[in-house]
Amino acid sequence: MRRVVSAVVAAAFALLAACSDDDEGGGGATPTTDGAATTESTPTTSDTSVSTSTADGEWATLRVPDDHPTIQAAVDAAQPGDLVLIAPGTYREAVQVTTDRLTIRGLDRNEVILDGDFELDNGIRVLGAKGVAIENMTAVNYVGNGFFWTGVDGYRGSYLTTYRIGDYGVYAFDSINGHFDHLYLAGSPESGLYIGECYPCNAVVTDVVSEYNGLGFSGTNAGGELYLVNSVWRHNRAGIMPNSGTYELCYPQREVTIVGNLVYDNNATESPSVRMAIRRQGTGIVIAGGTGDVVERNLVYGNDRYGIFLTPFLELSPNDEEPTRQEWGTICADAKLETPAERDDPIVWDVYDTRVVGNELADNGVDLVLATVDEDPATLGNCFADNIFATSAPRRIETLAPCTGTGSGDWTAGAIDDMLDQLYRQIKPGPEWQTAPLPPLQPQDDMPDAATAPPRPATDVPFALDLAAIKVPTRP
Amino acid sequence: MSTRWWAAACVVLATAGCTNDKGGGEQAIVLHPPTDVTSLGQPDHPIAGPQGAVPQFVVECAYSHAAPDDPIVAPGEFGAAHLHAFFGNTTTDANSTIDSLFAGDTTCDQRADLAAYWAPALLRGAEVLRPVKSTAYYRPGIDVDPKSVQPYPKGLVMIAGNAAAEEPQPLSIVAWGCGTGIARAVEPPECAQDRNLRLIVTFPDCWDGDNLDSPSHKSHIAYSSGGDCPEGYPVPIPQLQFSVEYPVWGATDDLMLSSGGLLTGHADFMNAWTPERMQMEVELCLHREVVCGIASGRTSG
Repeated sequence: MRRVVSAVVAAAFALLAACSDDDEGGGGATPTTDGAATTESTPTTSDTSVSTSTADGEWATLRVPDDHPTIQAAVDAAQPGDLVLIAPGTYREAVQVTTDRLTIRGLDRNEVILDGDFELDNGIRVLGAKGVAIENMTAVNYVGNGFFWTGVDGYRGSYLTTYRIGDYGVYAFDSINGHFDHLYLAGSPESGLYIGECYPCNAVVTDVVSEYNGLGFSGTNAGGELYLVNSVWRHNRAGIMPNSGTYELCYPQREVTIVGNLVYDNNATESPSVRMAIRRQGTGIVIAGGTGDVVERNLVYGNDRYGIFLTPFLELSPNDEEPTRQEWGTICADAKLETPAERDDPIVWDVYDTRVVGNELADNGVDLVLATVDEDPATLGNCFADNIFATSAPRRIETLAPCTGTGSGDWTAGAIDDMLDQLYRQIKPGPEWQTAPLPPLQPQDDMPDAATAPPRPATDVPFALDLAAIKVPTRP
Repeated sequence: MSTRWWAAACVVLATAGCTNDKGGGEQAIVLHPPTDVTSLGQPDHPIAGPQGAVPQFVVECAYSHAAPDDPIVAPGEFGAAHLHAFFGNTTTDANSTIDSLFAGDTTCDQRADLAAYWAPALLRGAEVLRPVKSTAYYRPGIDVDPKSVQPYPKGLVMIAGNAAAEEPQPLSIVAWGCGTGIARAVEPPECAQDRNLRLIVTFPDCWDGDNLDSPSHKSHIAYSSGGDCPEGYPVPIPQLQFSVEYPVWGATDDLMLSSGGLLTGHADFMNAWTPERMQMEVELCLHREVVCGIASGRTSG
């Protein structure tokens, strides 16, 4: 049931909602029962909002540019729970969002374009506002990030495209309870997607295509109920790379679950890239000093160096001591309160307790790799089982490190023995992100019913995931 | 003792070809001695550690140019200062004013930051080392209520550190480190391979509320302590921590600052941020207590 009310009434509701102190979405407002309001069926002035009620509550739709000339103006006028609906056009804006539970949506993913013009920093930046969802639009040419949430509880990005972006395409930092789906991310020197500094993250990433970036996915110190599923990571320097490091909080990286992904041809040599991605050039899934990660039922092929690569991460300039095993359960909120210890020697973060199970690998330089620098690899708790693969380092890796029973065999046979050299190896810088060659941006799928779907703030995320039902993808 | 170092800097200038042709050719140049500048107080402890615990916004700026100019200490006098390495605004020279900076461009990734940042050049023997980049971290001072922090007024100038120091300065104001690591030293340490040497200078975070500058360039600003600004400096402002990274590993034997020795670390700042943008970053990042950006892990690996 739709109901059209005057701007005055809508504003009054919005105020009520804002005062209701109700985090669950506008429950403090009551839809009008004034039948006269429905006679105002054609809002004509620029300050008229359309309010709609459903069983879920009350919201206004703020249209750009019809009601508000800019996205920022609409966002500033919006109240929690509202829908900002953006018409096709190019918007040269860096939008700041500080209002909870907004849904910011483009009417056409391919034609609602935020353009940073190589000057503006972020397309849309959400600062501490809870439950903000961004849907169905494209960001290009931003110096910083395309779509960026920081310090939030509740976030969602759906049907978003980012292309030629200076840092990260889509970025959630120090944020929990999130969902990303239907993203297309290309041309970021750091990574297409970055989720950083959260434990537990409680987030799902699904139906993403990330290509021609430094890393397809970067996840420094991110994990705990963090799922990367059913996505495509290709033509990056390296496909997926969670890692540990004390340069940001909440180390070590723990418990990311990577299932049902297609990870291939991550051999780009001309994509824009920072150093830590170039060092892993030619690798598919890299667990760089992570703990308790799960890599399962992925199809990984055509990566020139390594398919699935469990490797130490060398941190040259640590900001703290490496946490002990007893400290691995510390949640991020508590870790923030701890005082770091002075540590000046590099840390070599090893991979612990990671399971690599049921993946299919082919045509990688080496399909499965477990590498260490100093540690005895047999003691780290990592395991490999039921993978389809041709090569591994060390050889017979599923016999050495099975997921059930006790391993046996010679860990030195076929092992990577120059790991430290690899970590230190000198590299050629990538091209500038502004001018790096990229394939032209192709049209991407629109979200269904963008014009008519009600707002859906990120108060119900992540969406349910049937992990067991996910199968190994087939080759495209 | 410092005189020897000015002379060294002049020699370097000649060999480096960085004299400024606006300097008046043959006319005699009076070289200003390094200025003894220390603001009231100092931070309660050196600021170091992982990013992500404290609200901040961050600007990375490429190296712009070097010149023996100082628009704060020796305005209008080209060639009258020791050699400075400039970051951010690309037009900074002895004649720079806030208006001229606003007409300039920037080397910073944050394009609305037209501020001028500079530090003494670092020399190895007679060679002027080209810095890798600078990083400016803007945060509330230690234990200062983030919501109380006010944007810098347009045109505020600040100097941190003492260019005439003959004794080690407090590590909380001037320190050296390796890479992004936590360890701090009063003189450059020998850094391991791939860990670039950094000079880290922390600016005052309290302002008197009236003056954009002062005759001493120090008495209009001060450091907070225990989360409070001292009497006479009622306005908390962002604490700028400015770091310059140099491509230096290993031996430090031949290193010296153009301001003399290795104890004279300091840095200067002229605020030419677009005022609206500075206000926005303070309100959105510091007041809302979020991390608006991080100096990336590019130096890790």
